[in-house]
Amino acid sequence: MKEDAIRLPLSEGYLVADRKKCAGCIACMLACSLVHEGVFNPSLSRIQIVQNTWEPFPNDVQIGLCRQCVCPDCVDVCPTDALHIDTAMGNVRRVDESLCTGCGLCVDACPFIPSRIVRKTEVGVVVKCDLCADAPFWNQEGGPHGKQACVEVCPMRALTLVEGLPEQEGDSAYEVNLRNKHWAWLGYPTD
Amino acid sequence: MDLTARSASHTYTEEYREWGGGHGIGSALFWNLCQEKTVSGFDPRNVITIVSNPLAGTLTPCTGRCEVQGIGPQAYPVEWFTRSSFGGRFAAQLKYAGWDGIVIEGRAASPVWVNVINDKVTFEDARSLWGLDTRKTQEEIWRRVTGRRHDDWQEAGLGYTTQRPAVLCIGPAGERLSRIAVLLHDGANAAGQGGFGGVFGAKNLKAISVRGTGGVSVADPEGLVESWLWHRSNFQYNVDAPKHESPRPNFPNYWVVNYQVGGVAYLSTTEPCRPHACQSCPTACRRRSASGLASESKCMSMMWPRFSVRSCEEGGRIVGPIKESTADMEDLAALARGRHRLSDDVQLSGLNAYELLAADTYLMNLHNAGVLGPHKAIDCGLPFERWDSAECKHDLIRMIAYREGIGDALAEGLPRAAEKWGRYQQDTNNGLLEHPNWGYWWHYDPRVEVEWSYGSILGERDINEHGGINLAVHNMPLMAKAGRIEPIVSAERVAEILATKVLPYEGDPFMFDYSEGPTGIYSANRAKTIAWHRHYTRFWTEAMGNCALLWPSFINTNAPDLLGATPQGEVRFLNAVTGEGLSFVDGMEKGRRIWNLDRAIWVLQGRHRDMEVFSGYVYSVPVSRPHPLPVYEDGEWRFSDNIGRRLNKIRFEEWKTKYFELEGWESASGWPTRDTLEKLSLGKIADELERAGRLGMDSRT
Repeated sequence: MKEDAIRLPLSEGYLVADRKKCAGCIACMLACSLVHEGVFNPSLSRIQIVQNTWEPFPNDVQIGLCRQCVCPDCVDVCPTDALHIDTAMGNVRRVDESLCTGCGLCVDACPFIPSRIVRKTEVGVVVKCDLCADAPFWNQEGGPHGKQACVEVCPMRALTLVEGLPEQEGDSAYEVNLRNKHWAWLGYPTD
Repeated sequence: MDLTARSASHTYTEEYREWGGGHGIGSALFWNLCQEKTVSGFDPRNVITIVSNPLAGTLTPCTGRCEVQGIGPQAYPVEWFTRSSFGGRFAAQLKYAGWDGIVIEGRAASPVWVNVINDKVTFEDARSLWGLDTRKTQEEIWRRVTGRRHDDWQEAGLGYTTQRPAVLCIGPAGERLSRIAVLLHDGANAAGQGGFGGVFGAKNLKAISVRGTGGVSVADPEGLVESWLWHRSNFQYNVDAPKHESPRPNFPNYWVVNYQVGGVAYLSTTEPCRPHACQSCPTACRRRSASGLASESKCMSMMWPRFSVRSCEEGGRIVGPIKESTADMEDLAALARGRHRLSDDVQLSGLNAYELLAADTYLMNLHNAGVLGPHKAIDCGLPFERWDSAECKHDLIRMIAYREGIGDALAEGLPRAAEKWGRYQQDTNNGLLEHPNWGYWWHYDPRVEVEWSYGSILGERDINEHGGINLAVHNMPLMAKAGRIEPIVSAERVAEILATKVLPYEGDPFMFDYSEGPTGIYSANRAKTIAWHRHYTRFWTEAMGNCALLWPSFINTNAPDLLGATPQGEVRFLNAVTGEGLSFVDGMEKGRRIWNLDRAIWVLQGRHRDMEVFSGYVYSVPVSRPHPLPVYEDGEWRFSDNIGRRLNKIRFEEWKTKYFELEGWESASGWPTRDTLEKLSLGKIADELERAGRLGMDSRT
C-alpha cells in the first residue's frame, strides 16, 4: 500500500455479491438508478450486471460492484476533490456532483472493468456507489450503517453489506457464497 | 418503419394513450394503419406492431413483456389478426431508447436488419446475416453495434451502457416463410404463436436491434420501491427462508403454488445452473447451465425433449433408452445433454416448440395408423424405429426449418399439411390431430377446461394464459396428483378464493364450476368467467405487459392466507408508475374495449358465430387422460378427473348465445352491436362494421 493510504480512513461498509445466486433480473440496477436519480436507467446505475446469454454458468453473469477500495484511485486522481472520502458518512467513497467537472480521469483510473464510475452524460458529471448515503428517492436510512436499495430489492438475496474490510487481493472476498440448504433444495449448487 | 422505402417516421404515443399500452395500442394501430385486413400474413400490406407498455423498464414484478400483433399466417382456415408476446429485456431497451413501440409496414427489396440506438434508426444490409441461426445472428449484430468488448462501458449515441443490444430476430425457419416460425430474442424469449417469424421472413426483415441509454420516469419513485418491497415480503418466494417450501427437493412443478424460482425450466439437475429471469422478474422461471446448453429455454422447448427423447449419441456411443430411476449419473448426464442440445436446436432454428410437439405426436399417430412412413401413402423417410432418439428429433427440426422432404408440408403448419394429405377433416374428427380450434394444438383439454377452450375459440389462437385461473383450477391439483400429495387448496376453497378476486364479477364461486350441471360450463356463470378472463388479459396482461404465467395472481402460498396479489397488486404498481389513479375495474373496462376492437377486426376478416365451432373430436371423443378440475356436483365441491366427458355441441351453442348477450353482441352472428360499441366510445368502429354490412343488430331493433 502507498504510504499515504495508511492514513486514508477505511469505509465502514462493503457491498459483496454471490454471482452464482444472481438471476440476472437487474432489479438492483433499476433500484439503484431510481433511488439516486428518480428514473429507471441502467446507464446511471452504480452497480452493473453484465450478461452473456450463451456463456456457460457461472461466467454468464458478471457483477460490477464498487469495492470501496482502501486506496481509491478514483479519489486519488480527482483534480477537484469531487471524489472524496466522506468521513461524516462512514468513510464511503463518493462524488460531490457540485464539484465534478466531468473530466473523466476517475473513470479511467478505476482498475475494474467496467469502471465503477458512472458517467451522467446529460449533466456532464460522474457518480458512483455511495452505499445509498445520498439517495433522494429512498425513504430508508442509507450509507455504510444503513440499507442499500440493491440489497433490499434483490429477489435472490444475492447481495449483502459487510462491515469488515474484505481481503483486497483477488476477488474472492467480494464474490461470496450466500447460498444455503434451501437453495440446494431447489436443485442449485451451493459450492 | 416502412421497409419498402427503408424509411422511419414516428407518431406520438399520446395519441393512443386511451388504449393503455401493449395490446391496446397495437390493436388501435393495426385498425388505423392496416388498410387491407383480409390479406395473408405474408402480404406486404400486413402491418406488424411491436409495442411495450407503461411498466416495461421499471421495477415491477413479472412484467416487461413486449406485445407483437398483426395478421398471423399460422391460424387455419383463416389467417386471423392475432397476437403473441415475448419477455427478456427488449421492451425495456426500447423504452430506454425513447420509444414505446414499432410499427412495421411494407417489404424490403432485399434482406435488412434495423438498428435502433436511442432516437437513431437505420436500415442495414442483412444479406450476410441471412441464413444464420438465431444465436449467430444476435452475436454478429452485437459485434456490429458495439464493435468492441462487451463487458465494459460503450458509447451508444450520446450515452454509455454496459448492456448488450436487445435483438429480436428470425432463424432459418422464418427466412423460409414457415407458418410456425417464431421471433426470438436472446436465448429463448420467443414470440411463438401466430407465425410472426414467417411474416418477418416475408418482409425480408432479419432482425431489429435496440439499444437505449435513456431513462423511464415514474410518477411515484418512493411508492414504487415500497410496492416492490411489499410484494417481495408478501408474495415472492424467499430463497433463503421460504415460507412454503416444496415437500421434496427438486420438485419443479411446485412453483404453481409457491412461485419458487426456476420452476418452468425443467432443466435436468445433472449439471450446475442458476435460475434466470427476464428483466425485473423475481420468479426467474428459467435457468442457465454450466454446459451453456438450453440457456434460458423453458416450458415446451424443454418439456418436448424431456418427454420424447429416450436416447442420444454422444462421443460415439449410444446412450439409452435408460430407466432414469436406476441409471448411473454418467448416462443421466449424457441423456440430459442430448435433450438440451435439442432445446437449442429449437431456438436456433427459430421454430415454435409447441408445434414441434404437435408434429411429433401427429406423425407418430399417422405412422401407427399405417399411413405415414417410408413408401406409405404419406411418404416420410424419418426413422420411426428410432423415433425417441435425439438425433431423429434433430432431423425433424432441420427438415421443417429448411423445408426438406416432408418438412416442406410441416412448415406450413399441421392443419395445412393434413389438408394437403386429404386428412384434415377426418383426423380432427377422430382425434388423431388434436386441433380444437383455429389450427392450434390443444393446450389444456378443450372438452373440460373451458376457460381455455372457450377463450381460444372466441378469440383467434390458443390463449396461452396460465396465470390465475389455470394454475389454480388445474395445474395445482395436477401437480399434487403427480407429486402424490394432497392438493394445497381444496376445490371449494379454490372457487371461493377466485370468486373474491374476479372484479367486477366477484362473489360467484360457480364461475369456477367445471361440471355439466346447472352452474357448470354451459351456464351464465361461465359466461361471466370468460368475459372476465378476456377483459382482464386484454388489459392487465397484454396491454400492461404483465407475464401471463404469473398474473393474475390468485393463490400464493407465500402469503399468510394463501391469497395472491390480484387485484391490488396490478393497481398498486401501475399507479405508482403512471400516477393515473386507475382502479382495477377501470382496467377491466379498458380490457372490454380492447376485446371489442379485436372482435371488430375479426368480424371484418369474416368472423361469424357459425365458424366458432370446435373440431369434431371435441364433441365426439371422450376424455381419456385425467384432467383435474373443480366441479360442484350433488351439493359438494371436489376435484374431478373428468374422464369420459365430451363437450356437448348443442349446449355449447346455447352457451355462446348467453355469452354474446353478456358482451352485448348480436346473438345470431356474434357481431358487436352499435349500442355496445358506442357505449365504449367506439362509434367509428361501428360505422366501419356497418359499411361492411357486418354490424350486429341491437336486440331492441
